[in-house]
Amino acid sequence: MKAVGARLPRYDGIEHVTGRTQYVDDVRVPGTLWTKALRSPVSSATFGGLDTSKAEAMRGVRAVVTAADVPLLEYGHLSALGIPADEPLLAKDEVRYKGQPIAVVAAEDEETAMAAVEAIGIDYEEREPLLDIRRAFDEDAPKIHQWGNWYPHFEGEMDCRQIRKGSIEDAFDQADVIVQGVYRPAAIEHAPLETQVALVVPEANGRLTIYSCTQALYFSMGVVAAHLQLPLNKLKVVGGTVGGGFGGKVDTATETMCALLAQKSGRPVKWRWTREEEFLCSSTRAPWHMEVADAVTNDGWILGRKMLTLHDSGAYARFSPYGLTKHSFHHTGAYTIPNLHFDGYVAFTNRVPTTAMRGFGVTSVSFATETHMSRIADVLGLDPYEVRLKNANRIGDTSPNRIVYTDPSTVAVMKALAGGMDVELAPAYAAMGAAKREGDLLPEHLVSQLADPEAH
Amino acid sequence: MTQATEVLLPASPDEAVAQFGDGAGVTVIGGGTIVVPQLTQGRLKPAKAMLLSNAGLDTLATNGDSITVGAGLPVHRLAELADDARAVAQCALNVADYEVRRQGTVGGNICCDPGPDAPRGDLQGPFLALDAVARSVGANGETSTPLDEFLAHREGRLLLDLRFERPVASAFAALRYPHTHSYTVLAVTGVRSASGETRLAATGLAGLGARLRGAEAAADADAAGRAALEDVELADDALASAWYRERALPVLVRRVLSELEEAA
Amino acid sequence: MNLTVNGVSREVGSAPLTTLLDVLREELGVTSAKAGCEQGGCGSCTVLVDGEPQRACLTAVGAFDGAEVTTVEGIGTADALSPIQQAFTHHYAAQCGFCTGGMLMAAVAYIERGGTDDREAIQEALAGHVCRCTGYVKIIDAVAAAARGDSFDLSTTASSAGMTNLGGVS
Repeated sequence: MKAVGARLPRYDGIEHVTGRTQYVDDVRVPGTLWTKALRSPVSSATFGGLDTSKAEAMRGVRAVVTAADVPLLEYGHLSALGIPADEPLLAKDEVRYKGQPIAVVAAEDEETAMAAVEAIGIDYEEREPLLDIRRAFDEDAPKIHQWGNWYPHFEGEMDCRQIRKGSIEDAFDQADVIVQGVYRPAAIEHAPLETQVALVVPEANGRLTIYSCTQALYFSMGVVAAHLQLPLNKLKVVGGTVGGGFGGKVDTATETMCALLAQKSGRPVKWRWTREEEFLCSSTRAPWHMEVADAVTNDGWILGRKMLTLHDSGAYARFSPYGLTKHSFHHTGAYTIPNLHFDGYVAFTNRVPTTAMRGFGVTSVSFATETHMSRIADVLGLDPYEVRLKNANRIGDTSPNRIVYTDPSTVAVMKALAGGMDVELAPAYAAMGAAKREGDLLPEHLVSQLADPEAH
Repeated sequence: MTQATEVLLPASPDEAVAQFGDGAGVTVIGGGTIVVPQLTQGRLKPAKAMLLSNAGLDTLATNGDSITVGAGLPVHRLAELADDARAVAQCALNVADYEVRRQGTVGGNICCDPGPDAPRGDLQGPFLALDAVARSVGANGETSTPLDEFLAHREGRLLLDLRFERPVASAFAALRYPHTHSYTVLAVTGVRSASGETRLAATGLAGLGARLRGAEAAADADAAGRAALEDVELADDALASAWYRERALPVLVRRVLSELEEAA
Repeated sequence: MNLTVNGVSREVGSAPLTTLLDVLREELGVTSAKAGCEQGGCGSCTVLVDGEPQRACLTAVGAFDGAEVTTVEGIGTADALSPIQQAFTHHYAAQCGFCTGGMLMAAVAYIERGGTDDREAIQEALAGHVCRCTGYVKIIDAVAAAARGDSFDLSTTASSAGMTNLGGVS
């Protein structure tokens, strides 16, 4: 392990500082066409009268692609993980979020592409949008997704990701105090310096070379192959340096649309999103709504947690059920809580579909848990370090989904934090470690969990 | 389409005036910081565009107590007025960032339309407070009008310069709102003129920058702060709500008046 | 019209309202200046025009006939890195690298006009440049180091020497 602690040069360091790093938009292929998209100007509408004839006839326009041109219009990115397809590559009959693409145009230059988009005829009939995730569950809310307003396919048939452990009723009965909190982190835009971009080159041998800014090259290759109904060996994907991704360059659609335009026009096709498109139309980190009610004792033990999470998936599912599942496994954070009642819903709104971003699904619940721990300390009049150290994961404790911890780091991290902040811990707490619970650190309510993790 | 736009490239003020003519269909581009993105985005498709970079309008001249600022002067050069009209220099150095201050021009900043999502035209504040006179050309030839009148009727006019009298004192206060980065969310300029008049103007409003005449007439700083809220309608945008600006405006007014007091 | 780009005279055929960014990238094949926002707000298109840092995405090329344009390609090469490029390399001031070109050009101009290793002055000079990867600290470290005239041995792999100081420059 010579690399640990050593000072290593970045393999791309010299390229970065000499301007030699090649991003997708720096690739030069003669005859490349520019792409622009017709996007929904409203959050929810049906549409008809889609007429691309004027655009197609325009001088300099080489191809126009709509839903009708896509061999497999709906392909679930995570169908391998059991999440069925729900989203069309290009909108057909209706739009469910502002910015949703309806048609794409490839032309000799950017201005012509923009003019062609303006020449596409379409009639929208606006509908009442659903924008507040809490309303998704109301009887009178607009029905905005073919599955209903929330995802119904957890474990194939459940409309909620559930975690049940021990008895939440007993925990609430035995509690001295119930501490409640509602946590609502907002959506975050990844805002990478490099906007979404793809370049697709139709080769003489019938293959497509795809230059993509994707963070997940083989994943994107599979998605493009599925939509185009092409065998994988017809695609050559060239990844490269991503100008910032942070989770936002995994959703694959730009490449697919460029591939269709390249097939139709017989020319290389590039699509570089504007910064405006990046902000308005690209997927974001999801907003969350989390309600936490902890059953706690006066001396700072957390007996049980009842939690409700609403994950705002936006207009389509994409990776949200996967994110919520991870979230559910981590909903007690770095702490051991033996009695759990967790319900998590992936709910739909007429907003841009949400996606992964740094710590997908888990950062939200970490934020809620940590804030809630401080709240508990506040309500009980206890030291926030002590409340955390007491309930911290230890060897033999179990996670929400019954994984037995063999090497948890909570105690070590808390002590390092205290040290770094010049906080002197009381001797009993300063002496704590991650060893299996015993004595004062093994109260009655944790005994059965440790004795038989599977049964508890 | 910009490919089809006729581009005018005057090499002197006289050429600029002649080529501008009656201004019909002419989009004026100073530094390009506001207009060029609109061209790039396809929002603006002018029949004619006049690039002013080489038109010799980047002048800054002092004649006794009278100071004249050319419309083509890059914003950063207003720093040279630090002694003559401190508030102008302060406002200018608060605009955007190092590069944009060098590219943007006084004229472009003064004449721009209110931004749809964020405030623009910071310099309107100081020049209104200075009671500047705007010299412009257009359909009815050359005119010199008070700046607020010029701004109300600036369509079809080419701004040539702004002239004002050196003030006895000036003060500038902008809302410190770091997350808004390059934008000045709310600002107030105060000027005490040689004739003893106190003038106040604000930017970050629902429309163009404007004088705070009610505040100017108020008995004291507190009354002026309250009166300012009646003088103007505040912008409400993604950077700051009208609610927030309403709470900040009286503070900035009091701060500016207090600075003018100290300078006296 | 003509531009001298990195010391070489180039003829420019693009229409006068074409941005300097598009002229560089599309007509002249100089791609270090990036299209990060095309609104002047991110800084990644920054080049030097007659020695001054300027947003290429805001520059209508028609007004700049005869100008001297300097981009990252013109300040040093892999075999002969300029001090600022060495500083950025040594201090790990680039991650994805997309903002790096603009940062370098702004830094070059800052040091050229006498900029020091004062961190606030550096922040002020680079205020128009956005980075989403590094958190800026290492970029400021690098500019400060170059402003001081530090020298760098880019071949070393000394242990534990890679941690940047999180506070001020000593």
